[in-house]
Parts: sequence; C-alpha cells; structure tokens
Amino acid sequence: MIIVVDGLNRDRYGRLLDEMFALRARVFGKRLGWEVDIKDGKEIDQFDALDPAYVIGVNDNGKVVSCVRALQTTGPHMLSDVFSAILDGDQPLRSPTIWESTRFCVDTEALDRGKTRNSVSYATCELMAASLEYAQESGISDIVTVIDPIMDRVLKRSDCAPYGYVGKTTPMGKVPAMAALLDCSDERIEKIRNFAGIEGNVFMDEDAAAALADPVAPEIDHSLFDAIMSAGPQPDAETRNMLEQYCHDQASAAQSRDELHAANRLAGVLFEAGMINRRKPKFFVC
Amino acid sequence: MTVIDLSKQPNADSDLRLFLDTVCETHELDFAAYAGVNPIAQTVHGFVNYPDEWQKLYVEQGFQHRDPTLLTAARSIAPVDWVRLRQEDSFRTLFRAAHDFGIAEQGLTIPVRGPYGDIGLFSVTRNCSDKEWGLLKKKILGEMQHLAVHLHDNVVRSHALTRALTSPSLSARETEILQWVAAGKTQQDVADILNISNRTVEVHLRSSRSKLGALTTSQAVGRAIGLGLIHPN
Repeated sequence: MIIVVDGLNRDRYGRLLDEMFALRARVFGKRLGWEVDIKDGKEIDQFDALDPAYVIGVNDNGKVVSCVRALQTTGPHMLSDVFSAILDGDQPLRSPTIWESTRFCVDTEALDRGKTRNSVSYATCELMAASLEYAQESGISDIVTVIDPIMDRVLKRSDCAPYGYVGKTTPMGKVPAMAALLDCSDERIEKIRNFAGIEGNVFMDEDAAAALADPVAPEIDHSLFDAIMSAGPQPDAETRNMLEQYCHDQASAAQSRDELHAANRLAGVLFEAGMINRRKPKFFVC
Repeated sequence: MTVIDLSKQPNADSDLRLFLDTVCETHELDFAAYAGVNPIAQTVHGFVNYPDEWQKLYVEQGFQHRDPTLLTAARSIAPVDWVRLRQEDSFRTLFRAAHDFGIAEQGLTIPVRGPYGDIGLFSVTRNCSDKEWGLLKKKILGEMQHLAVHLHDNVVRSHALTRALTSPSLSARETEILQWVAAGKTQQDVADILNISNRTVEVHLRSSRSKLGALTTSQAVGRAIGLGLIHPN
C-alpha cells in the first residue's frame, strides 16, 4: 500500500522516513554509485529539508519497499540546482502544473521477481501509478523525472514510456542519468494499472496510516514561519548595516572595472529598494 | 469575465483586490486571499476580499499567528484542502469565529514556492456541501495553480530588488519553440519541425508562459519579443 508523507504529517512518520532514507542510501549510494552524501546509513540531501512530498510504498509487514520524492518546479528543485549537468547548462522547466520527481527506487532485496504483489515489478508499477494519481489529484498535469537508463527501460516495458525528454543523458556515477517527461493522465495511469494488474485504491486508509505512525506525535513547529511573517516590512538596522558592508566588500574586492560597475549596480538596486541608506558611500571609487 | 493580467497592471492594492474578485466571479467562489513572504526584500504582503468586519476581527484576534490555512499549508507542495486541517484546534477556533461572517470550512490553500525562498499562499473558499466542493475543486484546481503562481510572481516582482534578480531566463528549447510560434506555426507544426511530441512542445510553452509571467501564449510571444529574447522575421 501507498502513503504520502509531506510537510504536514512528516513529524508523525519519522520511522518510515528513516527507512526510506536508508533504502535510498542502498540504491543510490551503493547499487547505482551516484555521488550522494550518506550519514548513519541514510541518504539525505538539501532538498529533503524543503518539505517535499514523499510517495512511499509499504509492504504487509509495514516495511518501506519503494519511494519517490516530489518538488515544485516553481521553486528550488534538483534540475535547477544540482542536476544542471543533465540540462547542459541550460535553464530548467518552470510551471505551476509541472512537478519534478527524483529518487525513485524500489527495494530489490526485500522484493522478489515474478508478478505477485510482493514483486519488484508490482511495487514499481504501484509506486508509479500512485505518484501520478497523487500529482493529478493536486492539479498537476506533467512530471519531469530524473531517472537512469534502466528505469527508462522499465517505464517503456511497463507501458509507461516517457513522451519526451529534456536535456541529455549525463554520467552520474556508475550509470548515466536523464530527465524524462510523463503526463499525469487517466490513460497513462490506466495502462500502468493494467500492466501490473493493480485494482482499487492503492493509497492506505487512515487506520492503516495511523498504525504506521510514530508512538508520540510532537507539535508542528511554526516558529520559523511566524518569525518571517512578523519580521515587518523593511530590513532592521543590523541587516541594513550588513547589506551596506556587503556592498562595500564587493566594491573593495573588485578586480576590474566591470566588477566595480556590477558592485555599484547592486548597491544602486538596494538603495532604490530602500534597503540600504547610502547609495554610493565615499569608499566607492569609480 | 476573464481574470485580469496582473503584469500589465501597476500593482496597486486595488488591482490585486480586483484580481481576487474576478477569480471568485469566474470560478464560482465566495472569497479569495493571498499572503506572501519575500525574504530577499524582507517584505510581507497580504490582501483579501473577505468582509471588512471579518478582516478587522481577524487582525484583532491575531489569527494570522495561528491560522493553519496559512501556517500549516505553507509546508505542503500540493494544494491543501482545508478538510485536512479540520482536526487542528486552531482551525476549529478560527472557523467558529468565521462562521458568523458567512465563511465556510470548504476551501483550499495553494502554496507557491519561488526560487529565492519566497513563499506565497493563495486560498479560496466557497460555502457549499463537501460533495459540491469536491466537484468544484476538481474542476478548478489546475487553473488555480496557474493563478496562484501568476499572482505570487507579480507581487514578488513588484519589489525593485527581486525584479533585478528575476529577469526571465528561457531555455534554448523554449526560445526555439516560441520563435516558431511567433512565425505563425501551430503546436503540431512545431512538434513536426523539431521531431518531438506535441505534448513536449506544450510543456515548454507552459514553462515559457510561467517564466514570462504571461497567462496566454500570445502574451508570452509578445513579451519575449519585447525583451529581445526572440526575433520575429
């Protein structure tokens, strides 16, 4: 069965998330040999701190067997920040109705071959169908997904061939990686479900989800957002000083006329925006 | 009634309010609200078309510091249907008070994440049964996502510093496709010329519209020409 863990409920599913990070460490760190950071047997990167949505597959014993991570393409995501090599230095897609999916993996050790509910094939299709259904439910119409050529073959064989690609196939460790496009259409979801013989709702109900929750549920921490919301409309004196100091440092460190112009332009913009007091302090020499 | 294009407006508060009004009229909604945080400019924006008396009470009670349709929803990447927040104490307190002003529990918040850590929260509500709400939500959700980002981007770009940092950067593919559209080719023509699928063309056009802050492809073409990103023959 499938559960979606996001910023709203992640505090309740620490155990599931830990198992998921451990699965990612085994798959991306060991099996695929990607250059990922692994600490305490868990693969966690800076995007996991951004409250992404995780679609997680759990077997009948409550153990994590598959997972994938979704982020908005309007804000920071992997293709814009760390997978830019795939885009060959080009700009990533940005749309309110396109999500990026990364870190798609299944536990090939816990699952068997064949086509039963406990097989790699079924778990893969169930996760694909669930992630497309979750995206569709959220008003998303397309997904750009970072995958390796093996996963690309799996997609094609499961009657879920990408309708297009962006960028180019690029080495990412032992295997290359690429960015494929998938539509979140009823037709595609139906094809995947038919291929694996998936019937009915794949998402677990509230009772099943509650059974997987951590023993104690801590309160969600609103302090950061509260602090930002109550920060007030303009930078305080300390921030102003830091910004002015920054402009000063940029200007002093300038090695060429162009760099000095750039530093002065930044100071100008900050001044126009009312964020620093002095546009051209006396130490700015043009 | 069509939703106004904010990028053509001077962005006075009255225009933003008008934007909310037209969204409500176009999509059968009662009220709409926007709250946004721009950490670069260190500014906070908020505007709503809720009844004035409710706005007054909301601020008096300090609901903005515990409103889960803002604070909790901000942590989601997906639109948050308020049904998900109903068990929170703060939700019950808020909506018990809101009820007297004809504001219902049926609503959703669309969280927008921008490239610089900026966050926007666009929420809409409609007084109806849960069943009716479910049907309406399904119908308008994709469009609401686009409107939320359009609104947020325009609010963020109204600040001089963010505007300086966020000039639209199209990819080579997006530029190429817009160039062909500007030359009068249809989406299918472009797909055939570039030997890619029709939907790939569509996705790049959608991305170009978002980056250029345009609601339609013609607006995107116009703006790309204006910015010198493409050159009509």
